[in-house]
Amino acid sequence: MTRTRTRTLGAVSVLGGIALWELLSRTVFDPLFLPPPSAIWTRFLELAADGSLPRDLGVSARTYLLGLAFAIVGGVVAGVAMASSAPIRDLLDPWVSALNATPVIALAPLFVLMLGLGIASKVVICAIVMVFPILINTYAGFSTTDPHLVEVARAYAATRWQNYVKIKLPMALPMVLAGLRLAAAHGLVGVVVSELFGAKAGIGLLIQSSAETFDTRGLFVGVVVLGVVGVVITYALAAVERRVGRWRVVQRQEGTA
Amino acid sequence: MSDASAKLRLENLGKTFRREGSEVEALHGIDLDVPAGEFVSVVGASGCGKSTLLRLVDGLIPATTGTVTLHGRPVRGPGQDRALVFQQDRLLPWRTVARNVGLGLEFHGLSKKECAAKAAELLDLVGLPGFADAYPHELSGGMRQRVNIARALAVDPDVLLMDEPFAALDGQTRELMQGELLRIWAQRAKTVLFVTHQVDEAVYLSDRIVVLTARPGRVRAVLDVTLPRPRTLAVKRSPEFARHVEHVWSLIEGEVRQSMERELLAGRRDETRSREGGEHGRTVG
Repeated sequence: MTRTRTRTLGAVSVLGGIALWELLSRTVFDPLFLPPPSAIWTRFLELAADGSLPRDLGVSARTYLLGLAFAIVGGVVAGVAMASSAPIRDLLDPWVSALNATPVIALAPLFVLMLGLGIASKVVICAIVMVFPILINTYAGFSTTDPHLVEVARAYAATRWQNYVKIKLPMALPMVLAGLRLAAAHGLVGVVVSELFGAKAGIGLLIQSSAETFDTRGLFVGVVVLGVVGVVITYALAAVERRVGRWRVVQRQEGTA
Repeated sequence: MSDASAKLRLENLGKTFRREGSEVEALHGIDLDVPAGEFVSVVGASGCGKSTLLRLVDGLIPATTGTVTLHGRPVRGPGQDRALVFQQDRLLPWRTVARNVGLGLEFHGLSKKECAAKAAELLDLVGLPGFADAYPHELSGGMRQRVNIARALAVDPDVLLMDEPFAALDGQTRELMQGELLRIWAQRAKTVLFVTHQVDEAVYLSDRIVVLTARPGRVRAVLDVTLPRPRTLAVKRSPEFARHVEHVWSLIEGEVRQSMERELLAGRRDETRSREGGEHGRTVG
C-alpha cells in the first residue's frame, strides 16, 4: 500500500517536473540556455542515429569499467592488507587519509598532459577517484570482523586463505559493497571530468564540444544520459547490497527486539 | 584404566597469560588421562580456567608448561581429531544450517555434495531434520545449539570438547539437551571433555568429574560417577544422584569461600599463606 503510493508520488513528481521544465523553457527561459525536454529528446534521437552517442557512451563506459576494475583490485588488496597487518596499516594510513581528503580530480589535467588524450589518462583518473572509498570501506569491513567467528574458523583448522574467503569476506562484504556504491558515483564524475580536459570521444567530450558550439541540447543529452546511467548503477548496487547484507539486517532487528 | 589405553593425556599442563607486564596464572600442573570413549566433566568456581583448559586441548592457545597428547602425539594446534562446541553457538549468520554444519568438512576440502550429505545425516542425529535450508536466525537457542553440536560431530572428531554448551539455554531446554547429548554420545562413542559450572549437569552426564581449584586452576579432585547407564531424567531424583551432587558441591563451595576469603585477606600475606597450606592438606583424590 505504502509502496504503491511511494511509487505513484515519485512518478507524478518526475513527470510533473518534466512538464514544468517544458513549460518554463517555452515561456520564461531562453531555450538556448534551457532547452525544453522535447528538444533534448529530438537531439538525443539525432545523436543516437548518427552513431556518435553510442560511440561516446561506449568509450566512456570502457574507461569507467577499466578504472573500476583497477580500483576494486587495488582497493581490496590494500584494504585487506591494512586490516591484516599493523605495519602495513601504519605505513599506508597517512597517505590514504591525505589523498582521500585531497580532491585528486584536480590532477586530471596533469594526467592528460602526462598520458595523452587517449584512454590511459582517463582510466588512471577514474581509478584514483574510485579506489579510496573501496579501500577505506574494505579496511573498515575487514578490521571489524567478529573475532568469535574467526576463532570458529581456527578451531576447525581452516587455512589462512579459507579464513579470509569463507569467514572474513562474507562478514566484510556489506561494507565493501557500500564503498563500491560510493566509488561508482565518484567514478561517473571522474569519467566526465577527465574527458573535459581533452579527449577523442566520450560523454565528457560530447558535453564539452556541445557547449563550445552552443549546442545546449547536445550538452543536456550528455548530462541526462549520465544521470540515467548513475541511477541505474546505484539501484543495481543497492539491490546487490540488500541481497548480500540480508542476514545483517535480520541480526540487527533481533538485537533490538 | 591403565595409562596405555589413555587416548587423551594432559601432563603438567599450565597456562600463564601475560598482558602488559602483568601475569595471570590460569592453570597450574594439570594431570589428567582420559580413556577413549569416556565422558569427563570439568567443574570449578568461575574463573578457575575451565575454558582455558579446553582451548589448550583444542590447540587454540599454546600451553605455558606441560603437554597435551592425543593418541600419543603432542597437540600443537587445532586439528581434525578434536572439535570444540562453543558456549555461544557461533553459527555463521549468512549460511544456512546445513552449510554451517558442513563448515569443518568444507575446510578439510570435501566437495559441496559430500558436505551436504554429511550435514543431512547429522541434522537427523541432533533432531533437526528438515531444517537444512533454514538460517540460524530462524531457529531457537536450543535448536542453534544442536546445530553447533552437529557442526562439531560432522568432522567426526575423536574428542569432543564442550564449553558450557547449555549454559545459555533455559532450564527445560537444557534438560532436554542433556538427554539428547547422552543419546548422541551413546551412538557415536566419542571421548568428551565437558566444561560446566552446573554440578547436577556434570553428575548426570559424566563418567568422571574433575574438580578444579580457584585460580590458578589445579586438579582438586577427580570423582567417579557410579550411576548406572543409560541414565534417564529420573536418575536426577535418586538419592544416589543427590549424594554425588552433594559431594561435588562440598568441594566447590569450599573453593568459592576460600577464594573470597583470599581476596578479603589480600593485604595480610601471612594469613593467606597459612590458609593455602591448610588447603593443600585437605586436597582430595
